[in-house]
Amino acid sequence: MRENLPALQFLIPFFVAVSMPVMGWLRPNWCRPMALFSLLAMVCASLAALLSILDQGPIRYPFGGWIPPVGIEWVQDGLSGVVMVMVSLLALVTLFYASPGVEKTLTAKVVPFYTLVLLLVSGFTGMVLAADLFNLFVFLEVVSLCGYALVAVAGGRALIAAFRYLILGTIGASFYLLGVGYLYAATGTLNMADLAQRLPGLLESKAVLTGLVFIVIGLGIKMALAPLHGWLPDAYAHAHEAICPLIASMMTKVPLYALARIVFWVLGLETLLQTHAFLYYMSWVGTVAILAGAFLALSEQDIRRMFAYSGVSHIGLVVLGLSLGNQTGFAGAIFYLMIDAVMQAALFFVAGVLLYRYGIRQVADLVRYGGRAPWTMATLIITALSMVGIPPTGGFFGKWVIILAALEADHYVAVGAIVLGTLLTLAFFVRFLEKMLLEERQNVQEQSGETPWPMRFGMAVMAVAILLLGIFSDPAISLIQDFASPSGFTK
Amino acid sequence: MFLARSNFVAFILLFLFGLYIMMTHKNLIKKLIGMYLVQTGVILFFITLGVKEGSTVPILFLDGGPIQASAYANPLPHVLMLTAIVVGVATLGVSLALVIAIYRQYRTLEEDELFRRME
Repeated sequence: MRENLPALQFLIPFFVAVSMPVMGWLRPNWCRPMALFSLLAMVCASLAALLSILDQGPIRYPFGGWIPPVGIEWVQDGLSGVVMVMVSLLALVTLFYASPGVEKTLTAKVVPFYTLVLLLVSGFTGMVLAADLFNLFVFLEVVSLCGYALVAVAGGRALIAAFRYLILGTIGASFYLLGVGYLYAATGTLNMADLAQRLPGLLESKAVLTGLVFIVIGLGIKMALAPLHGWLPDAYAHAHEAICPLIASMMTKVPLYALARIVFWVLGLETLLQTHAFLYYMSWVGTVAILAGAFLALSEQDIRRMFAYSGVSHIGLVVLGLSLGNQTGFAGAIFYLMIDAVMQAALFFVAGVLLYRYGIRQVADLVRYGGRAPWTMATLIITALSMVGIPPTGGFFGKWVIILAALEADHYVAVGAIVLGTLLTLAFFVRFLEKMLLEERQNVQEQSGETPWPMRFGMAVMAVAILLLGIFSDPAISLIQDFASPSGFTK
Repeated sequence: MFLARSNFVAFILLFLFGLYIMMTHKNLIKKLIGMYLVQTGVILFFITLGVKEGSTVPILFLDGGPIQASAYANPLPHVLMLTAIVVGVATLGVSLALVIAIYRQYRTLEEDELFRRME
């Protein structure tokens, strides 16, 4: 059982996704319970896998019994175990949140919607577990293709946003594949563990360096690392409000995880600290991304674009944490990756409810908000506290650990950038809450009925998750340090 | 010097040409042509990695003689590119579907005109 868990986590959503069209034809009402049930089963499988990893170490799954490096293998170690739990839980909650909105406004497209979401989740699983650079490329494209289609579902302007996303995403994928080709030409292998053994002697080779740069550019486009974030704001702002949280919470985080995997497990820490320049440049890219995202968010009037840019800023923060080259920074970055996925989901839950119930898109329209939606308000305030970084929430502890790591690495500019980014985040949430709470109400639209309970439930789960990640940040960070860190960090 | 590696030069030209078309042309279909050139460039790059003059497909003839590795071409890049071609076809399919949907909605595929009609 244990050794089959990696494949099982992929097969559960994948099998249901493939059988969904038949199901939709025979029993349309079963689509939603089947999709949710399969994601629930996936959550159980990923939790079982994580417990088993903590107990007995990484699980290796060679496909068809071919021993790597000849065969393709999937590896679920501490880091991928933790990320898998995050992916499956977020997928379950966001799909649960999405179901009423989708069934009401996209009635004719329910079956393709569930198929695409489950394919997207199985693609994420493949990306997280792949221990082979080419396998990673294939799943990167599976994820992206589902992403383009899901963004386009809303129609209208979303089509153009999706087209732009497709063009930029394909350039990213081509750069990544080109980088993989360079590394393959230099080493003759694609297996990550095998590459890690062969690369250290080859770092003088220009082919290897060029390949690495191409891989970083490719994944950088996919994860919207500023200045490569061009596709992201439009895609998030025009996507259907039910689909947005799912895409916003994971579409950029999983490629970021893939970058961490390649940088720390393929290149290896010793090589990185010897050559030094790679991490150094990455830390500056991260610093710039933090500030660029925060400034752009502040200048936006559209609520969802504003949230999207704040996500760009946080991607920069995670990249900065990873590139500090010490264990505190790594653990803080991975912790922040998870809390940011939760926060993005929560923000787009709130934005979705505002749009779905009140038709509010712009910050200026918030005066129309009736002010009688305690669930939305509470979630928004908790998420805002966490985005800004106020102690009882997870966002504070993530930022705090990354700042400590930056001080440890004597990177004072980074500390300044994080603090300035925090202040800018505070500024845009103050503007947001001011419109919502303090200004006089105008043209308030009385809403009949309540927010559908799956939406309220989704928001409540995210708010509680942000608080829990804050309260239990110490055990979570030490779990990452003990079980999910690459070898070679000086304690 | 460059011509000694003419296959790589060809791939770089294709790749850059594709990127250039994607960036400069306003028509969505032309952008897709550029995208396809970029993908084809990468595919050709992988294919040239596996090419070896005077070599054959890696099927062993068990006629008793010693196996000469130098007589066989590396099949892995070609096999990888079969998958990459499938990925490319899927991307092209999705992108053409998007273009059709955009045309039905806005009745144009020129970017400038599109932005004007979106307002």
